[in-house]
Amino acid sequence: MPSEIITLQLGQCGNQIGFEFWKRLCQEHGISPSGVLEDFATDTNDRKDVFFYQADDDHYIPRAVLLDLEPRVINTIMGSAYSKLYNPENVYLSKHGGGAGNNWASGYSQGDKLQEEIFDILDREADGSDSLEGFVLCHSIAGGTGSGMGSFIMERLADRYPKKLIQTYSVFPNQDEISDVVVQPYNSMLTLRRLTTAADSVVVLDNTALNRIAADRLHIPNPTFTQINTLVSTIMSVSTTTLRYPSYMNNNLIGLTAPLIPTPQLHFLMTGYTPLTGDPDINSHQHTVNVRKTTVLDVMRRLLQPKNMMVSTGLDKTNHHCYISILNIIQGEVDPTQVHKSLQRIRERKLAQFIPWGPTSIQVALSRSSPYIQSNSRVSGLMLANHTSICSLFERALNQYDKLRKRGAFLDQFRREDIFKDDLSELDESRDVVDCLVQEYEAATRMDYLQFTAKRHTKTYGAGDNKSEESKSTENLPV
Amino acid sequence: MSDTDPVRLVLANLIAESGSYKTPESILREFRATRGSRKSDNELVSLLRSISRKRPNCQEVLDEIKQTLERMDPMFALLLFTERHSDEDSVLRQYPSSSRVGTHRQHSVDRHSSTRTSADIPLPHSRSNNSLTSQLQDRPIMLSTNKSQDFPTSTPLSQRKPDNYLTSPTMSAISTAIDQAAVQGELRVIKERVLSAVSSSSLTSQRSLSNANVEASPKETTLKPIIVINSKSMGSVFTCFPDECRTHGLWDFYKVEGGKPAPDLIGIPIETQQRELITELIYCLMGVRGDFIVPLESDPKADGIGKYETHFSVDKNVDKSLAELALEILPLASHYIGIQRIVSATQEHGQVCSALNSALEELTRDYYVLLAQIEQEHLKDHLTMQKMLYYLRPTILVMEEIWASLTEMHIENYTGAAVLTHLCACIKRLEGDKPSQEALISLTKKASVPYMRVLQRWIQKGIIVDRHQEFLVEDNEGIRCDELPELADYWEKRYSVRRDRIPSFLEKYSDKILRTGKYLNVIRQCGKRVMPTQEMNLQFDPTNEQHVFVINDAYYFAARMLLDVLLTENDLMGHLQSVKRYLLLNQGDFIMQFMDACEDELAKNVDLVLPMTLENLLGLTLRLSSARNDPYKDDLHCELLTYDLVTQMSKIMNKKEEYWQDKVRLDLSGLECFAFRYDVKWPVSLVLNHIAISKYQMIFRQLFYCKHVERQLCKIWKENAITKKFSPHAAELYRSAFTLRQRMMNAIQNLEYYMMIEIIEPNWHIFIEKMKKVENVDNVLSLHQDFLDLCLKNCMLTESSHLNRAIFKLCKICLGFCEFIQRSQRFFLDAELKSMVCDSNDENTDNSDSEDCSNRQQCESSLDQADTFGERVKRFDLEFTGLLISFLKQINDLAKDNTTDRFLNLVHRINFNSFYSDQIEKLCVKKAMG
Repeated sequence: MPSEIITLQLGQCGNQIGFEFWKRLCQEHGISPSGVLEDFATDTNDRKDVFFYQADDDHYIPRAVLLDLEPRVINTIMGSAYSKLYNPENVYLSKHGGGAGNNWASGYSQGDKLQEEIFDILDREADGSDSLEGFVLCHSIAGGTGSGMGSFIMERLADRYPKKLIQTYSVFPNQDEISDVVVQPYNSMLTLRRLTTAADSVVVLDNTALNRIAADRLHIPNPTFTQINTLVSTIMSVSTTTLRYPSYMNNNLIGLTAPLIPTPQLHFLMTGYTPLTGDPDINSHQHTVNVRKTTVLDVMRRLLQPKNMMVSTGLDKTNHHCYISILNIIQGEVDPTQVHKSLQRIRERKLAQFIPWGPTSIQVALSRSSPYIQSNSRVSGLMLANHTSICSLFERALNQYDKLRKRGAFLDQFRREDIFKDDLSELDESRDVVDCLVQEYEAATRMDYLQFTAKRHTKTYGAGDNKSEESKSTENLPV
Repeated sequence: MSDTDPVRLVLANLIAESGSYKTPESILREFRATRGSRKSDNELVSLLRSISRKRPNCQEVLDEIKQTLERMDPMFALLLFTERHSDEDSVLRQYPSSSRVGTHRQHSVDRHSSTRTSADIPLPHSRSNNSLTSQLQDRPIMLSTNKSQDFPTSTPLSQRKPDNYLTSPTMSAISTAIDQAAVQGELRVIKERVLSAVSSSSLTSQRSLSNANVEASPKETTLKPIIVINSKSMGSVFTCFPDECRTHGLWDFYKVEGGKPAPDLIGIPIETQQRELITELIYCLMGVRGDFIVPLESDPKADGIGKYETHFSVDKNVDKSLAELALEILPLASHYIGIQRIVSATQEHGQVCSALNSALEELTRDYYVLLAQIEQEHLKDHLTMQKMLYYLRPTILVMEEIWASLTEMHIENYTGAAVLTHLCACIKRLEGDKPSQEALISLTKKASVPYMRVLQRWIQKGIIVDRHQEFLVEDNEGIRCDELPELADYWEKRYSVRRDRIPSFLEKYSDKILRTGKYLNVIRQCGKRVMPTQEMNLQFDPTNEQHVFVINDAYYFAARMLLDVLLTENDLMGHLQSVKRYLLLNQGDFIMQFMDACEDELAKNVDLVLPMTLENLLGLTLRLSSARNDPYKDDLHCELLTYDLVTQMSKIMNKKEEYWQDKVRLDLSGLECFAFRYDVKWPVSLVLNHIAISKYQMIFRQLFYCKHVERQLCKIWKENAITKKFSPHAAELYRSAFTLRQRMMNAIQNLEYYMMIEIIEPNWHIFIEKMKKVENVDNVLSLHQDFLDLCLKNCMLTESSHLNRAIFKLCKICLGFCEFIQRSQRFFLDAELKSMVCDSNDENTDNSDSEDCSNRQQCESSLDQADTFGERVKRFDLEFTGLLISFLKQINDLAKDNTTDRFLNLVHRINFNSFYSDQIEKLCVKKAMG
């Protein structure tokens, strides 16, 4: 049982999307809400053991750890039909149940305080797997628990399991609506720093884009969390489909992510999905209207269209952003002989713009899909892409942060926590890291990316040190 | 029938001569008396002596009679006696008393009653010998029975015809004197020969040939040799045939010596001439030599068709008009005898010829019946030459065609299938000539019977019973079914079609016929009984295609059955899926897991790898991974080959690559020699034979090696991720290493994608689609082979330009780089670049892998001890890029010559964003400049 993956669900948002994710996995593998294999689930070629393990009575239990500082979402889960699915020992609720108050610092500190109990659970899970491959975190970057405690756990996991991968599904806040969380820019900045330094890959789930897609493409005027989360769970399940239905390539997490991420910093992935189906009831009759044969090329072309992307990158005025790498996971009735033709067409028509400093291409993984779920569409595709325009998200976060930081607003609640007791350097450092990240992404659009060095605005390290290293490095650079 | 009995005639003469008081009647009574009242032999002899005293040969004859009496009926002796004396009688020209004695034989058509006639000119004829002897044969002659199938083939020749000749009214006018002198001395000898001939094997074999001759009694057959011997001893041989051919009993126009000169026909009325001529013609039509119609000596030098043709000359005294008519009829005689000659010449030419001969004999029998009818007419005096020609005309035409066809066949010395082919061609040629065509069709039908019987047994049971080696399928024994049936070429070599033994009407189906029986044999080897569902009746009829339907039915039955055995009972597709899963890495997770498990073991030198350990690890992985649900997982085994893939391939491609072979490559790692083996049982091994498995292995080794490289690259990717925490410009220093790693990853992964997604999977997809419509096992085999060959070719393994060597070198560089990065890893945290020093020993080993790299100059440049990390990376970069670019260019060049291969797809993949385009172009320019 190799390549096991432990899923951590943090906070309200993390637990909600995690819940949808597990629901979806159960459906795909024919596992009942109580963890028992359904009678119809006769397909033995899927790999349930990556995400589930089997108890003594053979029922399936997700390798999931549910963490929250307030009970609402977890209670909903435990009150649902799926309550018996989870290992109750893996569900951790803070005893006081007061939450983190949408405060990153509070979540972070509580994580520090609760780390022993949390890592008891994580270590037990890790020991229970034969060859653990990594951790998957589900959280949002804007709130308190998911962002704060998530950041803490990420850092600790990276130290504790340096050889294991850390992948996150991070929900970015909706920019279109005014958030009730006023410190959201601070929270985002602080979390982004950890995502940059501690995580190996981050799948960005942009609430802005998700909501727009729900409204514009799925015609849902006021999408509910559940509807949005269905979208998210689709992305999560499809992006793991090559792990669960193995074929030639991309059968483990590292094989899936490593080709996408050329340099360690550039590990923020955006996703695209087609055809977009929210509620099956709504879409079923839509599909009967425009019945047409979907080809691989159609799917791949649509995946390259910004409207199908789950990240709202804003208008790229200079049109300089480009793909660093692309992986298309295509499911359904696909004629494998079509793949090459489609790739050639995209190449000839230059439908995608790629980085100039290295070779890259569109990888296509043809994957089986669950035999138990009837799909409306003949062919569906998910794109996992590393695109430089993702930095616009960080730029936006930087802008909002700067606005707030300039005014010095709402910093009191941060100062109350240990980490900000002495000064607010943590915030500035985080800003620096994110700023460097943006610079690196910008540099990645240029030919001279290899010679690029990010410039820090606020000097935290000695200036002299920096200079001497710089001079050395220029000597050693390849010409 | 107006004359008296010849016996009485002779006796009366003798009595008159001797002046004895006896009457012929009294003598006859003595001899005819029953055993009880009869006198003793001696008394009888003395009785005879009393009347024959005056004769000069008296004592001789009596001695003979004495002997005869001891063995035979007294009546026989009397007849013999009268015969001995009859010729002298003829000289005496006595007119015997007109007392008429009824024939003492019931069925005899008064066969000898007219020996002595009122005719004034005796006509000596050797046949009269026979007539007397045959007289003794107590056999009914069924002249009146039309179309009697019981007619013996050759007896009428010797028996009936002479009778007819003698009884014919014409002949009675020209009475015959028997040339006693010519006969007497020979008789004893003849008898002895008859006896020996009866027991001789040639006779019995001859009899068995004319199997329709049920009624043939031993006595009958004795006649034939008599004739033969008579002719031999008396006649000058007229024939170009060796005597042994004549055992068939052909008269073949033998000229009998000692006959009286041909009677003069001048002055004989035309009606009499006609009668005489008709009689002679009838004889002639059976091959008996006549007096007026004489066969011309054939040209011994004549070759080809002339050898089987006889020309006749008609006596010049015969009326011209009659002669003309006779000449019109005579070709029939020529053709008849020609056919008979061919029949006797092709006795031992195999089953088909035998069947044809027997059919021809049946035809001959019909011919005899026709002649008998004509003779009947003639006897009733109803026949004229014109009428006869009219009756015979259709037969003349048919006979000519048959003769022509057979002669051609014989000249070409056709046997077996060629005979049938020839007959079919003749039938086609005779389009429009319905009677001849029909005759040939019926001959062909019959001739094809034994061949079709062999064929039926083959397509129904898969058995060959073919003693004469005539059948189109040959069983190349030697490969016994229980010994190594999975031999790759078993299927090809066990049975083969012999092109020269296919009749034309089976030409198109020979392949089907071969396969039908082959399939049945395979089914039998699977331990299943071959039970034909329906009765099969395979016959060949040139007029329709019935046999084709039967063959097709049998073929579909066998093909379906074997296909069922393979696909349904032995789950061939399941096995193939399983092979694909492991040997083509379709089950990626299993491969990954296996690599995890065997990593340490396979990293060792191949001599140190323990095969048992590998086998155990494999078993463990199979049971723990998702492969545990595969029912055929136990067919999978590990194998360590003795050389790496590149060497193996160059050996297979048979290229003389001295430098590669000279190099003793003992430092092979287990990984380089490793392959999976897949063992299957008969009959799946028919498809998954050794050759197929080794082809799978070749693809496997390339994929496996690439997969290994990919894993190593992924490993350093994860380890490198630590630099995320470094300061921005420290990260910058590593960026060249990271991008190089990414380029390697891109190249290797695209290579894998290319092989798996663009080659194996689409070809497999096509293969599966075709397999759904497959009809027979040969189809399965060729489809599977095509699939493998296409995969091999497009995975650049069988490409003559050694692309696979370039792939191997690329992989080596990547591995060298991974090793280097891992060694440097511990220094990363320090970020002390100056300390990134590698000992020169490692340097050398790394370079040895890429000795013939085009960028050799760079490698040779100072291997300074103080090489920095960046410089090392740069060197790897140059080496890798140089190799990759030349690899891509090589593919580009190949694609220019050959647009059918898909190699170019790989270039498109690796160079998807045109990153390498400039460099490739530069290299092209450089090459162009020299």
